[in-house]
Amino acid sequence: MYKYNFVYELKVLVRNGWIQLLSLLLLGLFCFAAFNGSEKVEKRKLDIQAAKTEVRESDHDMLMLLDSVEQGMEVSASRWTIPTSPTAVGNYHPRVADMSPKPLAFIAMGQSDLFTHYVKPTMTGDDFTLNFTEITNPVQQLFGSFDLSFVIVYLLPLIIIAFSYNVLSAERESGSLKLLASQPISLRNWVLQKISLRFFWVALLTIVILTLVMMFFGTNTNLKDWFSILGITIAYMLFWFTMAFLVNLQTGSSSKNAIILLGLWVVFVLLVPSVLNQLGSTLYPMPSRTLMINEMRNLKAQTVKRQDEILDNFLRDHPEYAINDPNQNRKFYHRYVAAQKLVKEELKPIINKFEQQLQKQQAWISQLRWISPAIVTQQSLSTNAGTSTADYENYRGQVIQFAEAWRTHLVPFLYNNQSFTSKDYDHLPVFTYQPLKSNDSSLSWLVLLVISIVLGATSIGLSSKSKSSSTLAT
Amino acid sequence: MIIIDQLTKKYGEALVLNQLSLNIKPHEIYCLLGANGAGKTTTINLLLGFIKPTSGSAFINGLNVSENSRKTKRFLAYIPENLMLYPTLTAVENLDYFSGIGGKNLSKVQLEDFLNQAGLQKGAFHQRISTFSKGMRQKVGIAIALAKDAKTLLLDEPTSGLDPKASNEFGQLLHLLRDKGVAILMATHDLFRAKEVATQIGIMKQGVLRQQFNAQNISLPELEAAYLETMDFKELEV
Amino acid sequence: MIRNTFRKEVKEIIRDGRIKIAFGIVFLLLAIATWISGKQYRSVNEQHAEAKAAERLIWDNQGEKNPHSAAHYGTYAFKPKYPLSLIDQGVDKYAGSSIFLEAHKRNEAQFSKAADQTGLARFGDLTPDFVLLFIIPLLIVLLGYNAFTKEREMGTLLLLKSQGITIWKLIFGKWLALFTPIFIVTLATFVGAGAILSNLNDFGVFKWEHLGVLCLVYLCYYIIFINLVLLISSRAKKSGVALVLSLSIWIVACLAIPKAASNIAEGKHPYPTRQEFAANILMDKKEGLDGHDPWNKQAKLLEQDVMNEYGVDSLHQLPFNFDAYRMQKGEEHNAEVYFKHYNYLKIQFESQSKVYRSLATLSPFLPTRFLSMAVAKTDYSTHWDFADTAEKYRIEVQAFLNNDFAENSTYGDWSYKTGETTWKQLPTFQYAPLKLNEILWRNSSNIASIAFWLLASFGFLFITIKKF
Repeated sequence: MYKYNFVYELKVLVRNGWIQLLSLLLLGLFCFAAFNGSEKVEKRKLDIQAAKTEVRESDHDMLMLLDSVEQGMEVSASRWTIPTSPTAVGNYHPRVADMSPKPLAFIAMGQSDLFTHYVKPTMTGDDFTLNFTEITNPVQQLFGSFDLSFVIVYLLPLIIIAFSYNVLSAERESGSLKLLASQPISLRNWVLQKISLRFFWVALLTIVILTLVMMFFGTNTNLKDWFSILGITIAYMLFWFTMAFLVNLQTGSSSKNAIILLGLWVVFVLLVPSVLNQLGSTLYPMPSRTLMINEMRNLKAQTVKRQDEILDNFLRDHPEYAINDPNQNRKFYHRYVAAQKLVKEELKPIINKFEQQLQKQQAWISQLRWISPAIVTQQSLSTNAGTSTADYENYRGQVIQFAEAWRTHLVPFLYNNQSFTSKDYDHLPVFTYQPLKSNDSSLSWLVLLVISIVLGATSIGLSSKSKSSSTLAT
Repeated sequence: MIIIDQLTKKYGEALVLNQLSLNIKPHEIYCLLGANGAGKTTTINLLLGFIKPTSGSAFINGLNVSENSRKTKRFLAYIPENLMLYPTLTAVENLDYFSGIGGKNLSKVQLEDFLNQAGLQKGAFHQRISTFSKGMRQKVGIAIALAKDAKTLLLDEPTSGLDPKASNEFGQLLHLLRDKGVAILMATHDLFRAKEVATQIGIMKQGVLRQQFNAQNISLPELEAAYLETMDFKELEV
Repeated sequence: MIRNTFRKEVKEIIRDGRIKIAFGIVFLLLAIATWISGKQYRSVNEQHAEAKAAERLIWDNQGEKNPHSAAHYGTYAFKPKYPLSLIDQGVDKYAGSSIFLEAHKRNEAQFSKAADQTGLARFGDLTPDFVLLFIIPLLIVLLGYNAFTKEREMGTLLLLKSQGITIWKLIFGKWLALFTPIFIVTLATFVGAGAILSNLNDFGVFKWEHLGVLCLVYLCYYIIFINLVLLISSRAKKSGVALVLSLSIWIVACLAIPKAASNIAEGKHPYPTRQEFAANILMDKKEGLDGHDPWNKQAKLLEQDVMNEYGVDSLHQLPFNFDAYRMQKGEEHNAEVYFKHYNYLKIQFESQSKVYRSLATLSPFLPTRFLSMAVAKTDYSTHWDFADTAEKYRIEVQAFLNNDFAENSTYGDWSYKTGETTWKQLPTFQYAPLKLNEILWRNSSNIASIAFWLLASFGFLFITIKKF
């Protein structure tokens, strides 16, 4: 039976134009999506490149200026911008802390439209007000991007549903079911074979097209990336084919099947994610940012009033700086840096609360993500693309660490009243982004695969007990 | 060989088949006559194992249908009232597919031979079914039965909607099958065709077999009179 | 005739178990979504009121200091949430809700809710607009795809025709039967939302006519979908085909086109990155007057001009503090720079909006979405309007503080301090959103798109009647 189903299914699909339509549709969708994604990645790379070039140029100017000052020449720049002052270096010559895209970034837009991909933390800037969000038209963010992740998570299931909602019911409606049922075969196996053949063709087309797309649009994609993207896509497709198989076995009418499958799509792709999100933010609510501003303002107001006192305390804690300050030459920045440090420490619990809640929400979601394969797939794709929430959190953490390093590198100059020299330039800290190690994404497609297979197998087991042929007589 | 023994089917309270017993041997064509709802199609569906009997049993080639539903299908062929095949496949391909999934690997020559035996004109062998008339599709159905080497053939009003010539050709084909030793059960409204092809004729009403005739011992007007009499007969209140 | 068809269709809908379940689910979703949004609206507004009052207290009690220190200390403008955001959250989640107003700098609104959410939030939130924009059209597809094909498949269409029916009456009967349940669900949602809102007297100004307009927008949207679905059903040969076609329209109109439009708009008219934008502003600022830097070339020119104007030869002889005056002039220069750059953003935004508007001919979803957000005051224009008002206020605050500094001290006197009485004189930040008719006027092109879709879909339905 298998051989005949294989040969004739392909013949029928080709003669109906299904394979051709499917190839064109998939090719068109995947290419358009990959093009959109790679365009964004290209822009991201160019922006980072431009920022780095700019810093290189400004560093060049800074070194020239330093050189002139060191040779005792008169320079025509505002007093406080001359880079012999550590605060001038720290504030006017910040480094680029960039998050360069992963090779697969074009696959999923993820959170990349919300956040910026490079910042330049300054010495006296506030870490917690470092703005990591990007300026964009929020309408774009609201609508989302037509990326591969959208095609795979949203559209692929719909294509699968359209392709396989009526495998059995069409036979009945066209009248060929009776002849089929009078053959010495099990209809359940017959449906299974038909569905698996359709799965085979769609999977084959997807693999070929996805490979082409990745070869064309991806740069430096390695075999492991390719494997994990294909793995999750195929597993997700298998899930939907399993659903189609289950619904087909119920021997309803074609319309009824389509409606049930569509209902499943709405539930898994639209409703479960939004309900989980809603529950997550209800269980672990984010504190109010507006009220956080109030708190921050109060704290700052207090510290400003007590700046001298704070500096005294600071110097008591750091006697090494006090000794090197023979003139007790206290300027604005001395006070400011000390006060800022205090504000930062006191605000830390409030800021941490946001991060903790976000992490709790994420942990909760990753526990419950198995409720909907759409969530598993979306998360896996954006993790592979390096555009998930966790990636940006990781980046944010690294930047804040770097900002701290930048500050601690320059603060001793300030309190020691020591000039910054061209020799010190080489020792300035440099930021290098360490992407997250891909943790469970390779695993999730395996689990999804197992879930689909188990679902399919149990349904076969269940249906063999029920009388599936009784509806054939009508 | 078809043996039906005290077969009864109830849908809830409704009794659609009441203690039907029949015995159709090889080289026999049994025609079941009756109005709509008399239980003819139910009988055929029971023989196909599409529905389960409430009581009684049916045997195809000595195998109990409700116990060995799939095995019995190896020995039977079935042509429904409106035989539909895959419209985008050709006659040869349809035949190849249906015999193939049943486990018969046939060469192209064999396939064409069966279609030829079934009386399909050569020019249509490689045309898509979507261009076929009902009579042509019935012929492909017969070819499927021939290819399967079926010992029994179940027909559900096969001649309805056929023009007289096609209907006549169909009758000839049944005789061909009968000569090969196939046991044939045919449900029909067509008294004329029944008289033409049948060896035995039964008249059913409300799930009960009322009368049986040997086709050779009855003329067409007699058959019609018997049929109308059965239909007009008022049931005695029980 | 119309009444008979209507009655028969409604009976069929009521007797279909699947449809009952679908309606039940939609109704439940709407109820839950409205309830959640209502709760959120309340708590956000409470926080807003609290933060606004607290911020003013902080400002008033900042203590004795130089007005320019106060200017650096700055203040916050908080974006209010409007009653109809209960129905349509629009871009609120993605646009920040507070703007820091300080000396020399125009800041962007910060702390968008989306940045504080997980990636799951990008699937969409369970809000009334989600149900109204996506799920109800899907329900229409479900209810109506077989309105004609089922008659065709059962053969009753021929029977109806042989009864000598007037086709338009048949279609109108079916149309009404499809529209009535949708109308009831929509109306119930809006009345429910209105009831919730009118019970929250403390916050914002809720007006029933705004809600009415919003309701009308959605009803038009549904009518377009009903027309399209009936059109397809009357042309299609089989129910399956009609279902797949109607669904494809839903997918293309509600999912694919908005996303593709977003990519096209962004690709054609990109915004600069935040860092780029800041760097460009910095460059322009440097070329002009730096209010803090007396050695700046522009500052020297200003000195000369002012001394000439007042006929004095030293800055000390001026009747006001020249430092403050220079800072005010610098502030004005900065404001111009910001105006220029933000105007560029606005031009990009306008061009992007044009892309959306032109694509609205492909999808009725787009004009509906934009009009709905606009009426609910949760669209990007309202956000711009708020940000512009905040910037205007920021410039006023700087002028107020610099003038106080200039008038009450002399040149070189940076030790001047003032206190609470001055801070209290600063007017509070007020933002009044646009009036409804202004909003509608601004969105006339979206209204035109919806009208076009309405007319076109009715027109095609009418042509179909003739061919029937």
